[in-house]
Amino acid sequence: MSNAKWADVIGWALLAVLLVLALTSGDTYTLKVVLWISLNILAAAALRFVMLTGELNIATAAFWGVGAYVAAILTAWYKLPFFLSLLIGGLAPMLLSVLFGYVTLRTKGPYFMLISFAFTEVLRLIYTQTESIGGNSGMIGIYPPRWLDPYYSAIVVAIVAALLAVFFWLERGAFGKLLKAIQNNDAVTESVGIDVLKMKVICLAVASFAAGVGGALFAHANRVISPGDFSFLVAVYALAYVKIGGETQFSGAIIGAVLLTLLNQYVIAFGHYEHLFFGGAIVVAMLVLPNGLMGLFERVAIAFGGTRENAAPAARGGH
Amino acid sequence: MAGGTLLEASGISRSFGGLKAVSNLSFAVRENEILGLIGPNGAGKSTTFNLISGYYRPHAGKLTFAGRDITGFKPSKVGRLGLVRTFQHHSLLADLSVYENILTGAYMFVRDAAEREQRIRETAGLVGLTSHMDELAKNLPHGHQRLLSIAIAFASRPKLLCLDEPLTGLNGAEINHALDVIRRIRDDFGTTILLVDHNIRAVMRTCGRIVVLNFGEKLAEGSPEDVSRNPEVIRAYLGGGTA
Repeated sequence: MSNAKWADVIGWALLAVLLVLALTSGDTYTLKVVLWISLNILAAAALRFVMLTGELNIATAAFWGVGAYVAAILTAWYKLPFFLSLLIGGLAPMLLSVLFGYVTLRTKGPYFMLISFAFTEVLRLIYTQTESIGGNSGMIGIYPPRWLDPYYSAIVVAIVAALLAVFFWLERGAFGKLLKAIQNNDAVTESVGIDVLKMKVICLAVASFAAGVGGALFAHANRVISPGDFSFLVAVYALAYVKIGGETQFSGAIIGAVLLTLLNQYVIAFGHYEHLFFGGAIVVAMLVLPNGLMGLFERVAIAFGGTRENAAPAARGGH
Repeated sequence: MAGGTLLEASGISRSFGGLKAVSNLSFAVRENEILGLIGPNGAGKSTTFNLISGYYRPHAGKLTFAGRDITGFKPSKVGRLGLVRTFQHHSLLADLSVYENILTGAYMFVRDAAEREQRIRETAGLVGLTSHMDELAKNLPHGHQRLLSIAIAFASRPKLLCLDEPLTGLNGAEINHALDVIRRIRDDFGTTILLVDHNIRAVMRTCGRIVVLNFGEKLAEGSPEDVSRNPEVIRAYLGGGTA
């Protein structure tokens, strides 16, 4: 089995462990940690999906927030069934992302990143100024149905796993290859008839649906949401997970989120210095782990006699 | 061999700042021919390519392709209509495998998976990259990279294939192979080809007709023999004093 396949197995195995823990553990603390890890995996995977086209989409945080507010309003005010609010919590940011993407994805690189950052902060400021949704202090009383409460962590892991399966399937297929083609060279991709803007918008829409569902799950897990929960930092944390896990592998987002969320249980004691920890982790990862932990695993595997996927011609005995 | 007109540029112009990169240029590409486009550095060859393939919008003039006005169309739309170009620089998807590069070229044109697979194999075979399918494009030797950029474009089976300096940096044997591939694309598939290259001898050898550009305008047009005897062309290339 090639390293790439092993890497995928690591990711799915971690999700399976989370699901087993969520189903079997009676410990409230363990259930909470499993829940936060799963949500962080989803945020990281949503961020990474757009990174396949080469864009760093800070607005992952914005769509996460829209999903949270929409679902919160639907369950807390209109008493809609939980799963229906969850679905609409995904669809609403997805539609918004189509409009946002159609206008902004004509730019790329630092320009798109800055626009997506500004968009995120503008939405956050709108929440703080909108008294009907609680303004600065946010909304309270966002409960999942009572019968679901004991299984909430398990439901979250299951939904996250299902959304990741969609990401995985899309990335593996021709669609994912085209996204990588766009990242590599959008001019060449465009020349053979592929509407690059449309592809990027579709990619963003899929990621934003997942981010919105993530935000909705977050709102019902926290019971309380406020604008501060949806600043650009949501995307920065997700970026830390992706970078430390390893950007090029699907499992990178999973392993990075698992590891950093666990570590964060200890750093949280540092209070506000927790941000320093994430910043520092990104810097260290960029310096010593060019492709994160997955890259490290790969190097170790090669050192023990494995072969690199897509080896250079020389490594395969010439051409 | 000379059929109808496949691509017609009438009076296209494009300037950058004060510089007229292409000025009131008219030419036609006939069906099933290999038309060469040559000219000294800065003559406007690349701008012409970008204009006809939709990467630049002409400031004036009209482009007609297969009987349809394509002026101002997006590159992807021009590509879907069957006018596909290669690139002089950054002509590949460097981090993708040879297979994935060719897949990208075929994607919009072959929806059926089995048929697409067949298309990818056939295209790789044509340029001689069948045994390199899993290699990353960036790891290929330069000669193979140039062939791969042709393969990406030709995987779409265009009506008009525009090749932007496909011979740059190739050695003698590689040039012959590339020219052979180009001729087979025309002869076996009936594809019309527009060829830009600095290798004048290779262009003369391969093309039925040649258009010569200088300072963004058409300097001459005709058979390789006519063009190579044209005193204005000789002066443009040698930088004669009266120009």
